[in-house]
Amino acid sequence: MMVRVSGLSYRYPGSESWVLRDMHFEADAGEFILLVGPSGCGKSTFARVLNGLIPHFYGGELLGEVEVCGMDPREHPTYEFAECVGFVFQNPENQLFFTSVERELAFGLENLGLPREEISRRVEQALREYQLAELRDRSPYELSGGQQQRLAIASVMVMQPRVLVLDEPTANLDPFTAARILALVRRKTIEEGVAAIVIEHRLEVALPFATRMVVMVDGQVVDDGHPVEVIARQKHIVGKPRALELVEHLAREGIYLEVEKPSPEHVALSIVRAYRVRKLAERRRRRDSS
Amino acid sequence: MEALQAFRFKRENTVIDRADPRARVLLSLSLAALSLYAQSVEKQLLIISTVLVVAAVARRLRKLAGVMKAALPLSAIIFILNWLFGPQADPVQPLVLALRFLALSTSLSLFFMTTSPDELSLLLESMRLPREYSMLVTMSFRFVPTLALDVEAVMHALQSRGLELERGGFTKRAKNYLYLMVPLIVYEVRRSLMAAEALEARGFGSPRRPTRYQELHAKASDYFFIILLALYIVLFLVL
Amino acid sequence: MPSDEDVAIRVRDLYYTYPGGVEALKGVNLEVYHGEVLAIMGENGAGKTTLVKHFNGILKPSRGQVLVKGIDTRHASVAELSRIVGFVFQNPDHQLFADTVYEEVAFALRNFGYPEHVVENRVRWALNLMDLWKYRSKSPFSLSVGERKRLTIASVLAYDPEIIVLDEPTAGQDYHQKEKISEIVRLLRLMNKTVVMVTHDVEFVTEHVDRVAIMAKGRIIATGPPQKELCDMQLLREARLVAPQLVKLSLILRKHGLLNELEYERRADKLALKLTEVLKGGADGGSPGL
Repeated sequence: MMVRVSGLSYRYPGSESWVLRDMHFEADAGEFILLVGPSGCGKSTFARVLNGLIPHFYGGELLGEVEVCGMDPREHPTYEFAECVGFVFQNPENQLFFTSVERELAFGLENLGLPREEISRRVEQALREYQLAELRDRSPYELSGGQQQRLAIASVMVMQPRVLVLDEPTANLDPFTAARILALVRRKTIEEGVAAIVIEHRLEVALPFATRMVVMVDGQVVDDGHPVEVIARQKHIVGKPRALELVEHLAREGIYLEVEKPSPEHVALSIVRAYRVRKLAERRRRRDSS
Repeated sequence: MEALQAFRFKRENTVIDRADPRARVLLSLSLAALSLYAQSVEKQLLIISTVLVVAAVARRLRKLAGVMKAALPLSAIIFILNWLFGPQADPVQPLVLALRFLALSTSLSLFFMTTSPDELSLLLESMRLPREYSMLVTMSFRFVPTLALDVEAVMHALQSRGLELERGGFTKRAKNYLYLMVPLIVYEVRRSLMAAEALEARGFGSPRRPTRYQELHAKASDYFFIILLALYIVLFLVL
Repeated sequence: MPSDEDVAIRVRDLYYTYPGGVEALKGVNLEVYHGEVLAIMGENGAGKTTLVKHFNGILKPSRGQVLVKGIDTRHASVAELSRIVGFVFQNPDHQLFADTVYEEVAFALRNFGYPEHVVENRVRWALNLMDLWKYRSKSPFSLSVGERKRLTIASVLAYDPEIIVLDEPTAGQDYHQKEKISEIVRLLRLMNKTVVMVTHDVEFVTEHVDRVAIMAKGRIIATGPPQKELCDMQLLREARLVAPQLVKLSLILRKHGLLNELEYERRADKLALKLTEVLKGGADGGSPGL
């Protein structure tokens, strides 16, 4: 278990109300967890507990059991979490600090105190892997939004975290680029066993990549499980992509589909399967009756 | 606005750009020091011409001319005020002061034009400045174009609600520009908080000494520049 | 040929080059008709926002002409054009500055010279409409993200412009907020406003929009009703747009012979009924498809 949270409650300094209330949450290697909920439900606050920004940067009162990479954020400063938890923020502008891509990639590794050869090796590898090689001398404002976010993710992944937290990483990107960024993250969970926790509002874009979905309302976890099932139960809170709406309407007409992945392509193929099954059954019926 | 362009670094590939930033800073600082020391009009003009020659070699003559144009009004004011209120009605001293102003501004902007913010922070670190401070410098530069865009965005947002910034008398317009202050300040404070968070999330602020991935290495050509510079200084002082 | 009275905004051969040298618009021609809801779509960098910023004079053409209700935008200031074209920016935080929510909404009205009793009426109307009247004495900065967005919409609606431009109205909004924005667009239609929205949200577009203009690389490559344009996969590929979920689904079903023509059905329940006939019809030995 990379992340283990139990009975977590938190309130900001000087605040009467609790932003997080008695939360239970776990994350294991290789998972792509989609964390959703209405604005203000505490998703971003929870994300910041996972790398120690809460309680260190924000202060406030943190109660309950929290263990991320074996550490309790109350007992370890944020910089110790940086080795194990990578955090990608919504706006790439505010997480890129240098005027060259190469320097940006090296920054986190410099902070970790790694030897220069190791830094060089990882930077070169990241430039190749994230298709940033031709951009190595460019400044962030010379990059497109998608390139910037790719750089932000690369700068964090280069530190080889076990847990990756992304707070609305695709908010400023078009859906096409957003899907590519999330596909990149999904690849990391598969290839390197990273546990990814992704906060996103656009279900249609993020759902195809999720292995699990967690819904928060008012500081509490109200649902946690397989994405398709969770949506069926929580659609009034999180909305429902059209393809899954279709599945629901078909069910009302008596046609039940098995959908493992909540993308329009998968739903379409399961409709095709259902059609073929019926045609086969009908052919058999006609043959038997004749 | 053109004056700000002088502080915008753009990458070129000239001999000056390839030189070690320490050589460049020595050049700019030496010229500035000589300008402060020299008392004659000819020597000030010599310094200004030197700056122009170096700028030409660095292919930034037009940019430097822009800086001079922007500095000219203030330079003229220095000349006029010193002439009017000077001890004698002698134009030479005021002219020296006016030219000195031009020499200082062009020689310093020459450095910033040819040095990227990253090189600047490397320069500061090589002078033993702690990382927190060198990063302050780098990040300030890195965010200048971003800030310029923010100013524009706030301007457009308020204009779109009827704030007149294009027509009308000077005082009315100046007063209207004041409305930009609050949204801008709030926005930038928020931005700096977000940047601070992101810095911490990347391990900044640990008591451990960070590795210096890039370091400055002086080449033979840099030593050659320094010798040339020393010669120039000697000749300047002697002649 | 639509008469001049029908055309609210006329864009003639518009070219625009940014001061840095990037040519963002390369000969755009467009007519926006009174009372229509038009969506301008395309990937980031295609020129959508650049184009709409010409509608209230924020940007002036490098070449070509933009006529807003017959007025050439080059001869009017932004403040003057804003009386006719209300612009709701994507990021509300670029413009909030007043001490109270009330003052924030009153700002535009006072700039346009309305007497104070009119200002009071309109502020109350706009704030009530956006469900923000209860916050009238609070600081705009104390509102949540969704409320701040509604506040900017209220600020624009208060002075009742004829044309309203929405820049990415659903970006970063959660499910409930999107529903609220949907209501607002429906309301604007009822009020007979001309609405131009810049958006990536294909699902939102299929629900609310009369016409789409699709942009790629600084040009408009297609205009037409969404039912037609958003089914053209080649067009969508060229513009790097993601097709609506039900369109993707219908395409796969068509490929496998379940649907005959590309019927662009935007409602999941109607599509479910059609598919039920196909699936049950197929089982009775009838011909596949419709």
